[in-house]
Amino acid sequence: MLSQIAFWGAVELGLVFAFVAIGVFLTFRVLDFPDLTVDGSFPLGAAVAAVLITGGFNPWLAAAIAMVAGALAGLVTAFLNVRFRILNLLASILTMIALFSVNLRVMGKPNVALINADTMLSPFFGLGMREVYVRPLFVGVLVVIAVVLVWRFLESDAGLAMRATGANARMARAQGVDTRRQVYLGLALSNALVALGGALFAQTNGFADVTSGVGTIVVGLAAVIIGETLFGARGILLALIGCIVGSILYRIAIQLALSTDALGLKASDLNLVTAVLVAVALILPQLRRGGARS
Amino acid sequence: MIDLKNIHVTFGKGTPLQKEALKGVSLTIEQGSFVTVIGSNGAGKSTLLGVLAGDVLPNEGKVTIGTTDVTRKPTAARAGLVARVFQDPLTGSCGALSIEENLALAARRGERRGLKAALGPNRRSHFRERVAELNLGLENRMKDRMDLLSGGQRQAVSLVMATLAGSDVLLLDEHTAALDPGMAEFIMRLTQRVVSERKLTTLMVTHSMRQALDFGHRTIMLHGGEIVLDVSGESRKDLQVEDLIAMFRRMRNETLDDDALLIG
Amino acid sequence: MRNFILALAAATALVMPAKAADVTVAVTAIVEHPALDAVRDGVKEALVEAGYKEGEGLKFLYESAQGNPGTAAQIARQFIGEDPTVIVPISTPSAQAVVSATRDISVVFTAVSDPVGAQLVKDMDKPGGNVTGISDMSPVADHVALIKEITPDAKSIGFVYNTAEANSVSTLAALKEEATKAGLQVIESVATKSAEVQGATRALVGRADVIYIPTDNTIVSAFEAAVGVAEEAKLPLYAGDTDSVQRGALAALGFNYFDVGKQTGEVVVRVLKGEAPGDIPVKVAAGTDLVINKKAAEKMGVTFSEAVLSRASRVVE
Repeated sequence: MLSQIAFWGAVELGLVFAFVAIGVFLTFRVLDFPDLTVDGSFPLGAAVAAVLITGGFNPWLAAAIAMVAGALAGLVTAFLNVRFRILNLLASILTMIALFSVNLRVMGKPNVALINADTMLSPFFGLGMREVYVRPLFVGVLVVIAVVLVWRFLESDAGLAMRATGANARMARAQGVDTRRQVYLGLALSNALVALGGALFAQTNGFADVTSGVGTIVVGLAAVIIGETLFGARGILLALIGCIVGSILYRIAIQLALSTDALGLKASDLNLVTAVLVAVALILPQLRRGGARS
Repeated sequence: MIDLKNIHVTFGKGTPLQKEALKGVSLTIEQGSFVTVIGSNGAGKSTLLGVLAGDVLPNEGKVTIGTTDVTRKPTAARAGLVARVFQDPLTGSCGALSIEENLALAARRGERRGLKAALGPNRRSHFRERVAELNLGLENRMKDRMDLLSGGQRQAVSLVMATLAGSDVLLLDEHTAALDPGMAEFIMRLTQRVVSERKLTTLMVTHSMRQALDFGHRTIMLHGGEIVLDVSGESRKDLQVEDLIAMFRRMRNETLDDDALLIG
Repeated sequence: MRNFILALAAATALVMPAKAADVTVAVTAIVEHPALDAVRDGVKEALVEAGYKEGEGLKFLYESAQGNPGTAAQIARQFIGEDPTVIVPISTPSAQAVVSATRDISVVFTAVSDPVGAQLVKDMDKPGGNVTGISDMSPVADHVALIKEITPDAKSIGFVYNTAEANSVSTLAALKEEATKAGLQVIESVATKSAEVQGATRALVGRADVIYIPTDNTIVSAFEAAVGVAEEAKLPLYAGDTDSVQRGALAALGFNYFDVGKQTGEVVVRVLKGEAPGDIPVKVAAGTDLVINKKAAEKMGVTFSEAVLSRASRVVE
């Protein structure tokens, strides 16, 4: 069984990656834009935050700048896609690969340590509550704020325009929506959230490492899909809550695999399990559509 | 008011597939006038509609809607001036959004979209009233996703959407062609009512000669990218479907294979 | 009689450590590859030699993060939650994940080149707190000397590495410094994934006189690809770790990672016996040994001198 520390550790990491899940939800689900930029913007957020914090910046400001950096990464992908008509998936892969070099440049080395640095969480340690609870609580509060803001946005006039762009671009244009602008806006917003997740990962785990982006997209997708499976397609708010719950459940599943041999699963099997899960979730709607057509 | 001056549209210019879709079309439609457009496949009907909607930018000529020169404005930038109902009910509305969200989207057509909630209580009740006027019972399904509706229901909602924002030009792109006859008739009656109530300047492309003569004030026929017939007033009143077909035949100097379709 | 019992008790104490009944050592590595696996096995060996046997008072846990820092963070929490006696993180990110998540449980890191830069300890000699460990900073000066000894005509060293690996980047900096002192030039070639190793090595053909491959996880995982290019072009290929000599490198003056593991294990034993990690200085792994490969030498057109042959601790035929 899971110890308290392991359980809350999984919850904490799930909450950090909930930012990724929300970002992925915005691109894949809302905009219908499969965006792999996140594999680069997550470590970008971590890198920018870590470098600025070690450089003496206020950690909150560092996280905000990390979000701006993430947004810029999203804009690059959008630019490649909108301006030069490069296929969305390919455009995002190009940015992702480029970001690998950018991240190394930003950090100047592959790994920046934050173990001894003052982070966003530092003021909350030593208030009497155990660190094991402080971390998930802190990240959880930020996630809830993010969800409320994204939810309000998606149900506003501007957000509706973004949702229409993803669901029916021709109709959106006929309604006066500049769909290209929506792609820019959506990718910037998504990658800003993902970068914030990266910034929080660096601060809760004490380091930024260029390799920390590996598989971010798959983890984000898995969380979105677990959430959808649990809550169904019943509105924006539930979908966003599904992102959080899905992300936490995914991490708890990994934690269980680490803690027991009961399922016969090892941590190393989880990549396969995740890939199968995501593949099934991507294939299922197509099968359903195909069935309806015939 | 709609004013087209000497519109030329050539697709695939400089390629072996080059096609001149419109060859110097000029057309003025007065404020509040309802014009029907007929023509065989490839006559240039869709291109003409595209030029007005912004999907097609002309190679030559000038397009004015109201008092605005929109010649180079893409679809989204001129959407505030033009409302449109598509042939395919799936194109004109957003299946993934609810009925009320579709209406909210249309209500801000051509306006800046801010961060205010799209569906406040005032807007909700306004939309409900407008949908209730359709007498389809949809006012009780405002939160249903659009893709749960039938094609006819979607076209009916599309017509409501077309009239929510303040534009006074309406483009109808064979908007009953995909519907069964009963539903098509319902949508045409609804169209007639909406157009006359709101005094909309309307251009309706149709496959049906019947519709073309029964509705509106003026009928034009396109052929080979040119306007070959433009009738209104007294001369249009006397015009029969058979006359149009005869004209078609003369024009193309060949027999039509599918009269039934054209009469229907 | 009383003396005899005391002597027996003392002897028992030597063989059976005091806390042997309830000792847990939790080992984690960022990824699985031969060198890191050898470290783990070395740790285990040292524990066995000190009388800690699995199933007989020792619980030995091992998890690999499969190259994913997110998983490394979860493994860190998992281990801390199980409250083991000592946690042994192998490699920099694994060590950082563990050290940032506990201030109570003893940590003995290993295979970290720059423990101070990674903020695992503030001072190598007086680590303080709950953390100590073993650094595997490459003995680059010795490497350069070896290259000059075996291939005295070489004017330039080709360096194949992954820019993303902290160890390789610090090795490169050190190599440049030492090479300049020795009048050699360093030519870099980057492979960011194992599929690029062949191309990155080929890019050095004609530009470098010898090739040097550091203890870089990415390059080492596709070592045979580099060997193929080197043999084809008759370029002497040196490795930073001795295990790679078996796989076709000409020579390596490096760590035997099993030995690094054993040295780590010895520190773990000191902690198990009650020493505070903060009082144990962080040491750079010792015991660099020379391993040479005669078959590779033939293919790369190199002859070993008697001096080298006699100094080698192992010769691959």
